[in-house]
Amino acid sequence: MSTVENVSTNFQDRAGLRRVINIIRNFALPILIVLVFVVASFTVTDFFKFETIRAILLATSITGIIAVGMTAITLSGNLFSLGVTATAVFSGVIYVWVGQATGSMYVAALVAIVAALVVGIIQGVIVGLGLNAVIVTLAAGSIIYGTIAILTKGEAVQAQSVDLSGFATFQIFGLPLPIIVFIVFTALAWLLTEHTLIGRRVHLLGANKNTARNSGISPMGTTIWAFVAFSLAIGIAAVLQVSQTSQIQADNLSGLTMDVVAAVLIGGTAVTGGDGSPIRSAIGALFIATTTQVMVLAGVPEATRYFVLGAVVVALVVVLHILRKAGSR
Amino acid sequence: MSNKQAFRLEAKGVTKSYGAVHALEDVNFELKPGEVMALLGENGAGKSTIVKVISGLIVPDQGSITIDGEPVSLTSVRASQNAGIAVVQQEFSTVGPMTVAENLVLGQSGAPAWWNSKKLAESAKVILNRVGLEDIDPERLVETLSVAEMQLLEIARVLAKDAKIVIFDEPTAALSDAEIVRVLEAVKRLAKEGRSVIYVTHRLGEVFEIADRVTIFRNGRSQEPQDVKNLTVDKVVEMMIGRELGHLYPPRSQKIGETILETQGLRIPGLVGDVNLTLRRGEIVGLTGQLGSGTSEIMKAIAGTADVISGKVILEGEELDLHGRGRGIVMGIAYCSPDRKKDGIFGGISIRRNLSSPWLRRISRLGFVSGSQEQSEATRSAQNFAIDVKRLNTLVGNLSGGNQQKVAVGKWLGIRPRVLLVEEPTRGVDVGARAEIYAQIRRLCDAGVGVIVSSSDTNEILGLSDTISTYYRGQHSATKPAAEWTEPALVREVMHKGSK
Repeated sequence: MSTVENVSTNFQDRAGLRRVINIIRNFALPILIVLVFVVASFTVTDFFKFETIRAILLATSITGIIAVGMTAITLSGNLFSLGVTATAVFSGVIYVWVGQATGSMYVAALVAIVAALVVGIIQGVIVGLGLNAVIVTLAAGSIIYGTIAILTKGEAVQAQSVDLSGFATFQIFGLPLPIIVFIVFTALAWLLTEHTLIGRRVHLLGANKNTARNSGISPMGTTIWAFVAFSLAIGIAAVLQVSQTSQIQADNLSGLTMDVVAAVLIGGTAVTGGDGSPIRSAIGALFIATTTQVMVLAGVPEATRYFVLGAVVVALVVVLHILRKAGSR
Repeated sequence: MSNKQAFRLEAKGVTKSYGAVHALEDVNFELKPGEVMALLGENGAGKSTIVKVISGLIVPDQGSITIDGEPVSLTSVRASQNAGIAVVQQEFSTVGPMTVAENLVLGQSGAPAWWNSKKLAESAKVILNRVGLEDIDPERLVETLSVAEMQLLEIARVLAKDAKIVIFDEPTAALSDAEIVRVLEAVKRLAKEGRSVIYVTHRLGEVFEIADRVTIFRNGRSQEPQDVKNLTVDKVVEMMIGRELGHLYPPRSQKIGETILETQGLRIPGLVGDVNLTLRRGEIVGLTGQLGSGTSEIMKAIAGTADVISGKVILEGEELDLHGRGRGIVMGIAYCSPDRKKDGIFGGISIRRNLSSPWLRRISRLGFVSGSQEQSEATRSAQNFAIDVKRLNTLVGNLSGGNQQKVAVGKWLGIRPRVLLVEEPTRGVDVGARAEIYAQIRRLCDAGVGVIVSSSDTNEILGLSDTISTYYRGQHSATKPAAEWTEPALVREVMHKGSK
């Protein structure tokens, strides 16, 4: 049939180039991480050890879990939530309080996660009505932060009569639970976005809101599901975080929002939505943690670390953006 | 009258091809100083292509253009502007949140670096008076103007550039009668000032009212310009039609069944009176009219994506939910929008996932999408629409317009449609893909689906439909079996409505 040939010739000239570009785009970050590892193994003493790698993974887990959840919001075309820190602290405070009151870390974890879901779904509904996600989550974050600061009088909330560290100390094959949760959560998120009705709708909504609406996909319902995935991640991450430190304070976790956004960005998920994957964000978080850890071990001062990390994030985002443009032409 | 006078603009032997398709073939075009030249022709006849050539958007393969006897090279929009050519866009290029006066200065080469709002308002006033916008405060924000006022402001912006040649591309398509009068007045005034006007339109009435001469395009070729005073409506229509594409359309329906969809007292914003529409099984009903005729609103109302004032739509005894697409899709109403890029396809998503997007729920069990079912059904849809099945992973945004349209229509096969609504089924689609899309629509019909097509392309409506309804500016004008229509009658009805 003549048109079928037509289609083929349209593609042939650029198809090869496009494939190469997409391979680079998909594997740039993993290769970079390996490279950092190799360089660090030779230059930093005691780097290539199980303990170091475990420390890196542990440092990745909290940011990584939330970045994976955030990917749902970004994929749906709603940019980012800027209320990460506030929601995580809120959820953590509830974990400690309920733990104190009930004496059970399981009940406490459940309530903390449900609390994160409730505030997340409220924001999801508002964003679903058509408001800009950045503005809504920034405002919500501010309200949540203020509420916590008032309720805790700005002081640290601590578990006294009860041990809430169980989730952090539990290990399987020498790997602490946060690392395992991070890996399992990423795998589940991937399964969800690629193979379920909800995940696919989130993807399509971000790709083109108008076409999605014409195809019978509800922007409101789908946006709420994206916020559910995100809030679930925050709730889980908050419980794991507080299990490690056993205390939480209103002004803790201050850099978390930016770390999570950076992880999603350098992972290569499109800010405009519809293109990306939770695995990308997990790798993005891993890259940030690895680079930071290497610099810590190499004795780089904190200020310089921030500078280097910032510069690397900007450079990577620019390169990935150019590659995505070239790869989709 | 001396025939020796120099032409303001003269184009000779202009040819432009896209592959095997000749958009323009050896086109000649001339324009005298101070005249209004109307451009007429069916969709795809070449009138918009020649306008693009003159405004510098398209560089022709062959041909020459002179302005006031001097050869010019219009290789860019800037070059065209410098040669004294200005285009009044169909889509507004004004900036809403800025004032009228500021918009008049915007984008002009002589614009001051520092704006004194008082001085700006004064000079704006002078220009506004010339287009009949004297009652508009120059300090008003453009977004508060009516559509006609914005169109007049577009003209004013062109005036501010002091162009020798002004091109109008269907300036009245979205306007009401009273508003059209104001625009036509402004056009006449331009000609009186000695400027030459190229006026592209679909409305014959306007041609007889303001044009001095007419150039008619047909199949990418131009015809000798005619003096309007020597023409009649019938003569113009006769010169316009005659596209040689008879084999493009599948044969009409042999077996039309019982009623499958009907409207009851349906009232829609923008349409005069009730919309009465009956669709039978195996039938293609064609709705046609110019931009602003209301056919698009009817399609959107039935699809559930536009407002309905009152009334209902009955699908085989069941009332349709006209709020959103969700219920309609479940009940088997497929809807293809007229602008596939805007809301018909997912450009950044693969062909397979585009095809499956409306029927994901049907192939899901316990929330999980069945990958194998998606693959097999998407393959079947692709085969039916002559989409290369080896390319199912390709992003739809990388396809040609024709193939994108096949995806935009083909994705609805999977909902097992009972009624298919298609707006502008072949806009921006090459001839080969058009034939395939027509054949598929007809095949669905033969399988018992009812189809409503709305199109501003009368040739397409006549070739494809079993029954044709015409609309003119929000009002139903006629419904007849396709066999009782001739193309001249249809073109007349749609462009003119016998008002002259």
